[in-house]
Amino acid sequence: MEAWRNVNRETLEVDVLIVGAGPAGLSAALRLAQLQKQQGGEPLSIAVIEKAPDAGRHQLSGALLDPSTLHELIPEYESKGAPLGTAVDNDNIYFLTQKSKFRLPITPPPFQNHGNYIISLSHFTKWLASQVEAEGIDLFWGFPGQHVLYEGSRVIGVRTGDRGLDKHGKPKGAFEPGADIHAKVTIFADGVRGHLTRQLYSDLQIGRDAEPAQFAIGIKELWDIPKDRLKPGTVIHTLGYPLRQEEFGGSWLYAMNDGRISIGFVVGLEYHDPLFDPHAAFQHFKRHPFITRILDGGQVVRYGAKAVPEGGWNTQPKLFADGALIVGDAANFVNSTRLKGIHLAMRSGMLAAETALAAVRRNDTSSNTLSAYKSRVDASAIKTELYPMRNVHQSFGAGLIAGGAYAGIAMFTNGRLLPDWHGHAGHRVMRTIEKYYGLEKRDILVPSNAAPIDRKITFDKVTGAHYSGTHHDEDQPVHLLVQTDVCHSICGSEFGHPCVKFCPANVYEMVDDGTGGKRLQINASNCVHCKTCDIMDPYQVITWVAPEGGEGPSYDGM
Amino acid sequence: MRSRGPKTQDPRPKTQDPRPLDFRMKIAVCIKQVPTREWQPRLNDDKTWVRDQDVSYEMNEPDAYALEEGLRLREKHSGEVVVCSAGPARVQQVIREALARGADRAIHVEDDGLAAADAFAAASALAPAMAEQKFDLILTGLQSDDQGHAQFGPVLAEKLAIPHSTIIMEVNVDPSTGSGQGAGSLRVKRELEGGWFQYVSMPLPALLTIQSGINTLRYATLKGIMAAKKKEIAKVAAPAGSARSRQKITALYAPQKAKQTVMIGGSPAEAAKELVKRLREEARVL
Amino acid sequence: MILVIAEQKDGKLNRASWETIAAAQQLSGGAMPITVAVAGERVSGAAGELAQAEVTEVIAAEHAALAHYTPDAFVQALGQVIGEVKPALVFFPHTYQTRDFSPTLATKLDRALVTDVIGVKQTGGTPTFSRPMFQGKLTADVQAQGPAPHLVTIQIGAFRADAAQKGSSAAPIKNQPVTVDEGKLRQKPEAPFQEAKQAVDLSQAERIVAVGRGIKSQENIAVAEQLAKAFGAELAASRPICDNGWLPMERQIGSSGQTVAPKLYVALGISGAIQHLVGMKGSRTIVAINKDAEAPVFEVADYGIQGDLFELAPAIIAELQK
Repeated sequence: MEAWRNVNRETLEVDVLIVGAGPAGLSAALRLAQLQKQQGGEPLSIAVIEKAPDAGRHQLSGALLDPSTLHELIPEYESKGAPLGTAVDNDNIYFLTQKSKFRLPITPPPFQNHGNYIISLSHFTKWLASQVEAEGIDLFWGFPGQHVLYEGSRVIGVRTGDRGLDKHGKPKGAFEPGADIHAKVTIFADGVRGHLTRQLYSDLQIGRDAEPAQFAIGIKELWDIPKDRLKPGTVIHTLGYPLRQEEFGGSWLYAMNDGRISIGFVVGLEYHDPLFDPHAAFQHFKRHPFITRILDGGQVVRYGAKAVPEGGWNTQPKLFADGALIVGDAANFVNSTRLKGIHLAMRSGMLAAETALAAVRRNDTSSNTLSAYKSRVDASAIKTELYPMRNVHQSFGAGLIAGGAYAGIAMFTNGRLLPDWHGHAGHRVMRTIEKYYGLEKRDILVPSNAAPIDRKITFDKVTGAHYSGTHHDEDQPVHLLVQTDVCHSICGSEFGHPCVKFCPANVYEMVDDGTGGKRLQINASNCVHCKTCDIMDPYQVITWVAPEGGEGPSYDGM
Repeated sequence: MRSRGPKTQDPRPKTQDPRPLDFRMKIAVCIKQVPTREWQPRLNDDKTWVRDQDVSYEMNEPDAYALEEGLRLREKHSGEVVVCSAGPARVQQVIREALARGADRAIHVEDDGLAAADAFAAASALAPAMAEQKFDLILTGLQSDDQGHAQFGPVLAEKLAIPHSTIIMEVNVDPSTGSGQGAGSLRVKRELEGGWFQYVSMPLPALLTIQSGINTLRYATLKGIMAAKKKEIAKVAAPAGSARSRQKITALYAPQKAKQTVMIGGSPAEAAKELVKRLREEARVL
Repeated sequence: MILVIAEQKDGKLNRASWETIAAAQQLSGGAMPITVAVAGERVSGAAGELAQAEVTEVIAAEHAALAHYTPDAFVQALGQVIGEVKPALVFFPHTYQTRDFSPTLATKLDRALVTDVIGVKQTGGTPTFSRPMFQGKLTADVQAQGPAPHLVTIQIGAFRADAAQKGSSAAPIKNQPVTVDEGKLRQKPEAPFQEAKQAVDLSQAERIVAVGRGIKSQENIAVAEQLAKAFGAELAASRPICDNGWLPMERQIGSSGQTVAPKLYVALGISGAIQHLVGMKGSRTIVAINKDAEAPVFEVADYGIQGDLFELAPAIIAELQK
């Protein structure tokens, strides 16, 4: 990147820059527009940049939407055609064993979804974007943020990614260097393990006083099954098989309209077994007789994956800095117990917008003034919801039973009576092969939980990558920076190349190097932008940066 | 008398010719919005069209190359580039993208009925509005990535009574020094089968269908995207009694491979013999 | 009656003309008479060849202005032939030349044109044409609307030239005079020329041998090269081979490479990941050779051999050379 320092870049000056057009970023943009109209005065210049080529293309979630924030942000959402999909009709929780299932007789409160909606987040975001566009705000599709711009420790904006570099980093015919967008306030809505927020973590130590962030990977498929098989609005969650006590996670299966179902599997990215493969767990889950019966004769339509922040309230970073605010998944605002984050993302976006507007109007976007955002969050439904459950995920570190018990107590006491539980970053708890397997001989390139692939119910990762619609120009710099030699020196014997297993899209492969050994091959164009590798690699040597703008998965309907 | 320029007040982006209001070429680029390459088609209930929920759209790729060619010709000879598109409201997406890349203004024949229309219907819908404009040169992709009729260009040319050539790899304009409609001529390189090519000349005004890959597509800049919002998109109603599609789809289905795989066994020598025999006699591909 | 427009250049018939005759014969099923027309400056030789087909009549339309193809001249001439013959259907081969003038001809005649047809059938007495849509992801059955004649272009390779039935005796050849207003010819073509082959264009290859991971090492690519040579085929590869740098990217078949539909596709040591299959499953005849009987590639293959490619390849080469 350094060579282009002297290149003639486009520059843009705005009052507020929002990085990321997911529910958090778009809610921030919309709220800004609304408040400006209400308050009158000189309108702010606002820009939203997004790596996807179009609204909703990189958006993926189960999803069950709690419409509370939507009510507040857009009270007329119904008349404005909000795509609320299917109203939840019935909630079911099962505990699975390999061959059978046990239905929980009572649905615990966090899993009660009456009043919520099964939505496609991709559709919903598309609609939200159209609301933002109607306000005349500039939405720049296909412009990923790549570098945070600073003046000292003040965030002054973002530089977007270069376009038109070949795989050696040399400019091609239509080369456009990244543009510098300077803003008085930059709102970072760059999603789970946001690659720009990550720069704030390292440059401004925003994680210093927080619990280490914790994540899960969610792998999702959309299926079309015979229309009369499941009642639309049916919500199913499962625990248990195929996960063991030591693994945290479970599944979802939501019945939408017209025989369309959303099915997915969540695994905490803090498992101990280095040879564990989350994608394989998903395949085992689909092979459970209960699930196979639902999918049988159906057709898979889409596949995708994303990491999900699971650590809860205590893992939120410092949410503000000179010239910066952090919202949504990037701030780890997800209620992992309820499995919901969209309404929290939206609310955080709204609160950031309120703070940013006030600060810009006062001509003071210092950390001090922007700290009002944190105060707003503390006084909001975000805290009311997340604070009582703040240790639930960490408690699962002690196993399913302990976690379940803790979660129960936390719910009943609303989070009081229990001391804060400290957690570890997930990649640290992966055990070495030696520690986990002892002297047992294993083929390290085969997952410990390898699943049979029948290409009717279960598919391999390469097929999944195909169904994610992911596409990247081959002739560009690799966007997964692995600047280390551990892959060829110690990783094999220590951890057995876990990247090959935890990536859901077959990006990482150990291939024959022609001299009897193996080398790491990165199939960057398979990437679905889930961030799992950035999170889970035990040496923390993988850095995800944005590929060329407009590229990535195509999550239509996800 | 040449028609006047577009009503933009913005200062021209630096790539454009600085000569004010002395247009040499009025260039039209016809652009179609199509589902993205990654789209998995799903059929509607009566299986005569596709379900259009969950579809993401993009600019038809050959049209993108036509647009780039139009922008380069404008840079070389000065003039204006007008995007012409027909279809439902959603085609604004590709119109805006074209404007963001540098086109000057647009004409949108808006009609929901054109979403599934064939090339003939689309050309009929656009022809009247385009005839009025008296373009010097009309560029469009050689075919669309969705329906792939490869008819739109020549049909439009015939309706506008202008000459055309198809599958063009190179465009050379010989601008005349005279003024008035129809000045200037073209010498273009046409792609033929099997690695053969041919140069063809014709007078302007004319229409060309452009082959993918003939140039390198430029990126839209932030300024280009912002400027696009202020550029004119003239909405034109579809002509009354609009010509309908000339083809009726009676069934739409995934291509079936009605084939049984013949597994050939035996020793390598035996299998090889059997395979070659079948390829020669049965499949007749040798 | 079906009128087939054959294509010739400098007296030599384009092979696709026979494919088009085959398509017409299939639709007719003997019930509709078939006339073949060929236009050019001197076409008696070509007409004589065409008369060997099982058709009712061959029409030779000669004019000096048809010596070198221009859309204007051909539209004029063929418009007249159609006006004389008054067919119900006009079939053309979907060549680059046909694509250049058939839409113009159809618009001038104000008649429907269905292009790129891969299948023909009668549905309750109405001719129905199958054509690919959405880059081959779907096939559409369409019926032309409006009055006759309906114009149809037949995809190259969709029908087999050798499936054109020959007649028991030569069909009569009629010389059809056509007038061409040379003052109205707006395009001036120059002589065609060939350019040095820059990039590999697999989409034009009639036969392809594609190699996959089963080849194991770069040195072994020579085995695939020899097999390709023996077949008279172009060499292509699945993605992993190109990723390794064993073959250049231009030879890649699949969703991140080229999509091809040759007459013969030999998949050597390719497992058949879906990204590869979408790039070649339209091929006419697919041969798969793989050690793994469960490999997905066998699902799309016409002929499959489960076995060691290092033993099979030399054996096949030997057979081909006999």
